[in-house]
Amino acid sequence: MKEKIRILISKVGLDGHDVGAKLVARALRDAGMEVVYAGLRRTPEEVVKIAIQEDVDGIGISILSGAHMIFFSLILKLLAEKNASDIILFGGGVIPVRDIKELKHLGVRELFTAGTTTSQIVEFVKKEVGKGRGEKG
Amino acid sequence: MFDKKFLEDLRRQQAEWEKNLGKDIECYGERRKEFSSSSGIPSKSLYTPLDLEDEKIDYLRDIGFPGQYPFTRGIHPNMYRREPFTFRIYTGFGTPRETNQRVKYLLKLGVNDVQLAADLPTQIGYDSDHIMARGEVGKVGVAIDSLRDMEMIFDGVPLNSFKRVSTLFNSLGPIALSLFMALGEKQGLDIKDYVVDLQNDVIKEYVCRGTYIFPMEAGVRLCTDVVRFCAENARNWYPTTICSNHLNAAGAGSTAATAFAIANGIVYIRNILKQGMPIDRFAPLLCMFLDEREDFFITIANLRATRRLWARIMKEQFGAKDPNSMALKITSYSHGGETLRELLNNSVRIAYAALGYVLGGVQFLYNASFDEAVSLASEEAVRVAVRTQQILAHELGMTNTVDPMGGSYYIETLTHQIERRMREILEKVESLGGGLEAIRKGYYQSVIGEGASLRQKRFEERDMVSVGVNVYRTEEEDPEPLFRINQQSEEEQVKNLQALRRERNSREVQSALSVVKRVAKSEENLVPAIFSAVKAYTTVGEISDALREVFGEHKEAVSYL
Repeated sequence: MKEKIRILISKVGLDGHDVGAKLVARALRDAGMEVVYAGLRRTPEEVVKIAIQEDVDGIGISILSGAHMIFFSLILKLLAEKNASDIILFGGGVIPVRDIKELKHLGVRELFTAGTTTSQIVEFVKKEVGKGRGEKG
Repeated sequence: MFDKKFLEDLRRQQAEWEKNLGKDIECYGERRKEFSSSSGIPSKSLYTPLDLEDEKIDYLRDIGFPGQYPFTRGIHPNMYRREPFTFRIYTGFGTPRETNQRVKYLLKLGVNDVQLAADLPTQIGYDSDHIMARGEVGKVGVAIDSLRDMEMIFDGVPLNSFKRVSTLFNSLGPIALSLFMALGEKQGLDIKDYVVDLQNDVIKEYVCRGTYIFPMEAGVRLCTDVVRFCAENARNWYPTTICSNHLNAAGAGSTAATAFAIANGIVYIRNILKQGMPIDRFAPLLCMFLDEREDFFITIANLRATRRLWARIMKEQFGAKDPNSMALKITSYSHGGETLRELLNNSVRIAYAALGYVLGGVQFLYNASFDEAVSLASEEAVRVAVRTQQILAHELGMTNTVDPMGGSYYIETLTHQIERRMREILEKVESLGGGLEAIRKGYYQSVIGEGASLRQKRFEERDMVSVGVNVYRTEEEDPEPLFRINQQSEEEQVKNLQALRRERNSREVQSALSVVKRVAKSEENLVPAIFSAVKAYTTVGEISDALREVFGEHKEAVSYL
């Protein structure tokens, strides 16, 4: 792999529970990736702007407030509008199975719920980003 | 506490026994390398009178009698024989109309202490039609834009139907208080006829949970304005509950979380003293929200240790004379270990957590519902939560005697060790310049961050076990929610809000808002000005914007380290 994987981790909406987002950010960093952490209360518009500015390979979004359908859909739409759909979108939170299926159908690559290990997330990111780079290169 | 000769004899015999123990461990090993929880207090194989002796525990000084200083055994002489803990439920979702139905259902089940969950836009001071509210209206709680929403939530439910009514706008305590006072007036109730409880603890929001709005000093002022107002006008209300729960959940572990919470309490206390109110005028109104999620016995000891430490701080450090200033009333929330997999198991976890809090002498007991790992509670799940509280209160003899765990060598030793550890952390906070300075210097955050990483590591290494998740796991799919929020709630709420803006007297609203701004710039108590604004149907967002104009907003230092 030619360069380090860059991932944006952010909260979206008003939910302030950031334990999970920070844990994932630390785990990705410890696995050798570059992490851009955007913190709390970001709008989908801000997230997409930062992702493009920072030229990240992927965006990881944490939502525990139940607002996941609207925010993930909006981020996907904005990425498409900016021709940035090569940036992979994944997330985690309190998200029911039915919603996970629907969001994955829309284009979210993976959604992690309680009980996931950080190594599962690290492996997932490596694999998905690797796939994307393979296609491009 | 024991006779010298007895202790010598015991020490000799115990040394013999320890040799046996050593052989046992050598031969069979132990299940774990270390037996401890996130509280940071290790457990030994056995506790005997020698532990009480080695810790220099003195019965009369350190344990004493319930209802008496230092209140280790409870705050009332007859505890639950007089009255059990309250049956408390945290509830709210969607529109006020939808929440009204749930509130009526809870009342029917015998819930006597209800805490309204407000949605995030409300807690952060955005009206439902604000761009920042998009997607969040009615999600984690009910949308409350104005007094009109409160009238609907409690339509047909006078506020005195419950022993206490409550909510938690932690950054906007004066608005929460005013909404309840204004609603009480509308319902024809005198302040003495009903009891309002507010969480109103903003400091922790800056390091976890995240519903901060204003810079820290302004946040503290809003909290203490509420306490001072209630101390003068509503002495049977609970204007603030200082929380360890969220600090623990974020990763601090229960001992550090409780110490931080006490340090935050001290920030409020000093602020009120500085404004000239004597300690015994307001300290009896303060409560704490305590939490431990991993260890049943630590739960019990944490409540006992915190009561003792609080009493000692009130008496020794702040010179309180009134025993009510020293007797700490405690709220606890039975939750924390729930899993998304095999939801029904959560009922068992919640019941044991609740039992721990009851044995610790809790006053206000919340129970989570077994399905909250996947969604807001369904009616079926919340009924089990309430019935669990009622079974504990009435069926099992749990409430027949005061502090039944008192005198256990293990519990008394833990209680002592936890108190000592909390004092050490409090001293560290003091040495950094107190709660707010310790936060500015990142001390709370570093303890929380390290704790969260350690907890995750322990979970992944199965040192922290979650049955059905990291051990005994089956291959079934995660469950679907039993309850779903109506996706049309946001639209309906926005429509109602816009109707309100057309119908109310906008001149009255504008003049109320200019008074709020003027008072915010002064040192006067903000509660009366905000109360007037609330009565004129000024919205939560409008009042918050007026305060933002004067105070500015808190900027989070963005870091994941």
